[in-house]
Amino acid sequence: MYKYDHIDQTLVDQRVAQFRDQVERRLNGTLPEEEFRPLRLQNGLYHQRHAYMLRVAIPYGLLSAKQLRMLALIADKYDRGYGHFTTRQNIQYNWVELEETPNILADLAKVEMHAIQTSGNCIRNITSDAFAGVAADEYVDPRPICELLRQWSTLHPEFAHLPRKFKFAINGAKEDRTILLCHDVGIELKKDAAGQLLADIYAGGGMGRTPILGSLIKQALPWQLLPSYLTALLRVYNRFGRRDNLYKARIKILVKALGPEEFARQVEGEWAHIVDGDDNFTQAEWERVAQHFTKPAYKTLPPLSTEQLLAQLGSVEGNERIAFTHWLERNVRSHQVPGYASVILSLKPHGVPPGDVTSAQMNAIADLADQYSFGELRATHEQNLVLADVEQAQLVALWRAAKKQNLVLPNIGLLTDIIACPGGDFCSLANAKSLPIAKAIQECFDDLDYLYDLGKITLNISGCINSCGHHHVGNIGVLGVDKDGEEWYQITLGGEQGNDAAIGKVIGPSFYADEIPDVMTNIINTYVGQRHEDESFISAYRRLGVAPFKEAAYAHAKKKVASEQAAGGAA
Amino acid sequence: MNEILHFPKDGQPHFAPNQWQILSWDQDEGGIPDLEHGPSKVLVPFAWWVKHHKEQDILARAQAGQIGVWFAADDDILKHADLLEEGKTLWPLVAAHFPIFRDGRSFSTAALLRERYSWDGEIRAIGDVLIDQLLQGARAGFDSFALRSDQDKDVALKQFDLFSVTTQNSWRGKRTTLNL
Repeated sequence: MYKYDHIDQTLVDQRVAQFRDQVERRLNGTLPEEEFRPLRLQNGLYHQRHAYMLRVAIPYGLLSAKQLRMLALIADKYDRGYGHFTTRQNIQYNWVELEETPNILADLAKVEMHAIQTSGNCIRNITSDAFAGVAADEYVDPRPICELLRQWSTLHPEFAHLPRKFKFAINGAKEDRTILLCHDVGIELKKDAAGQLLADIYAGGGMGRTPILGSLIKQALPWQLLPSYLTALLRVYNRFGRRDNLYKARIKILVKALGPEEFARQVEGEWAHIVDGDDNFTQAEWERVAQHFTKPAYKTLPPLSTEQLLAQLGSVEGNERIAFTHWLERNVRSHQVPGYASVILSLKPHGVPPGDVTSAQMNAIADLADQYSFGELRATHEQNLVLADVEQAQLVALWRAAKKQNLVLPNIGLLTDIIACPGGDFCSLANAKSLPIAKAIQECFDDLDYLYDLGKITLNISGCINSCGHHHVGNIGVLGVDKDGEEWYQITLGGEQGNDAAIGKVIGPSFYADEIPDVMTNIINTYVGQRHEDESFISAYRRLGVAPFKEAAYAHAKKKVASEQAAGGAA
Repeated sequence: MNEILHFPKDGQPHFAPNQWQILSWDQDEGGIPDLEHGPSKVLVPFAWWVKHHKEQDILARAQAGQIGVWFAADDDILKHADLLEEGKTLWPLVAAHFPIFRDGRSFSTAALLRERYSWDGEIRAIGDVLIDQLLQGARAGFDSFALRSDQDKDVALKQFDLFSVTTQNSWRGKRTTLNL
């Protein structure tokens, strides 16, 4: 993975010093809170319901064992012994003190980490495919471009105060694992017949109050020209994005208002003046960065079949064999290199907030990474962790070791692999709690055989319309809404991430929290009752339409349904 | 603040007395403001210049170096290329306004003045200009700052050399990562 050079290290060290001075001015009263707020946000520091929360960047999801040990240390030293992996390849600490934050950042800088631009109205931490560089379906390893753009966007002076936050996602694989179309800018990397690396640019996607999928505005952009093209794009947005209404300030609103063609035309017009400028990347820069993303020292190994892997299990009880088989199927992914596999560690054991990891688990996971995967890990936007380079012959040993840490529940991609924001338990923006809903659903669907039989279903929960829990793209989405001071939950169906990305549709009036398990049960029963053989939930939904699910959802619902809310109404 | 923070492209940051008054749009009474008493030079709103620049007395004042313009955050300077080109020989100074410190439009205005119009004279940041915007402003293209009056001058002077490295080009210089 990428290693800082002296410039990267100097930059994060000097950023710590800058932030330390800003915090001191805040504490001595010369910098008022209203003016400190954007400064702290640009360094990932939020003021939450109970305390400050610090969001640390894991650029494009890549993490070393050494870094994870530091994250564990920080959890113990400055927080309450745990961290929360987010839906944007960051980790959050929920209980930090303002006075301590410069010291946390200094500790992070020791392991080449930071919290720069993890919040605020600027270019945020760039996200990518958690399986970059190892996925069997990859066209292009996106990591060198991710890193080049991380550097380009870090402390960019012209785009420090955009109308609103700005999120990049970068994909280089056949299957989209980045929710590319739900980003302000999505960059899809490809190679042409001559091997030239090219980028297709999608703009104007986003979730939030007005979920919109991005539009293709530029095709086959040579990678070297990304800085000038993105400067043009961001300049158009910086100048003309709305600043009169917080809820209409994202680039998606500008792209929608102008139309994607007109937006693209304006970007082209601006770009024409700077396309030949010296902002563009050079081959030397590519080489400087790409040298860090070479393949690890893979052994020449024979590929192993499932039967061979099961044989390695030895003589165990039937239940254990089934659990391992399920784990192989759900939590293990194919790899580019024969004899290797990628393993997803589930951070969704039932009953624990999705994405939460204790410091003890972090240390244990770091050990697993050292022992089984070249000392590296990846964070997924589904809030799980990946050991990307595991020898198939070590899968049994890894499974046994990870099991002791409660990390092997074979629920990846299943109903209880819930994506959820921290919600009203922590977040001051939230209208309602997310975590108790996630817990109630996990408890309701705690039978692994049944979960397994249900197959692929994504269930995403957001505590408010900011959509950090990505509810718009869950096959089943749950959105917390506030009505007269009470917490209600709106259900959407039909959302999808990936190549067939779709925004879910609201099925009707919202529900009380205690109705949600019944509602979910009714929706799932409808699917089970009407599915064709091997038909996934989303396929069945697309064939059947919303009507039978809606009917089932409201059939047994208590009569507490809000009367004023019409079907399809947004919160 | 009666002093302006100057940070020339190849110089050191320092404070110097302000010689320019700023005409706000709602003060427009149709003619040139009083330049006989107090500061003898005036920054007029760019839209005011668009409206009045052909008037003889205005042009005379401009030719005497007494008039510069300031751009509001929502002025589209790319729509007035002819006036901008003319202005390069007339205005000793231009300014871009920050209605509130967290509104970054004027960073793009400054960048466009430098890049597109090759403006090599002074560009001043005016309005809600705070210490923690100085570094970004200086890199985007500003070389003088009318800091809000409550801002600490000593802290302000320390802002420009907080970083010895850069990872993208700016008006001040190419990214230092090119030297690796």
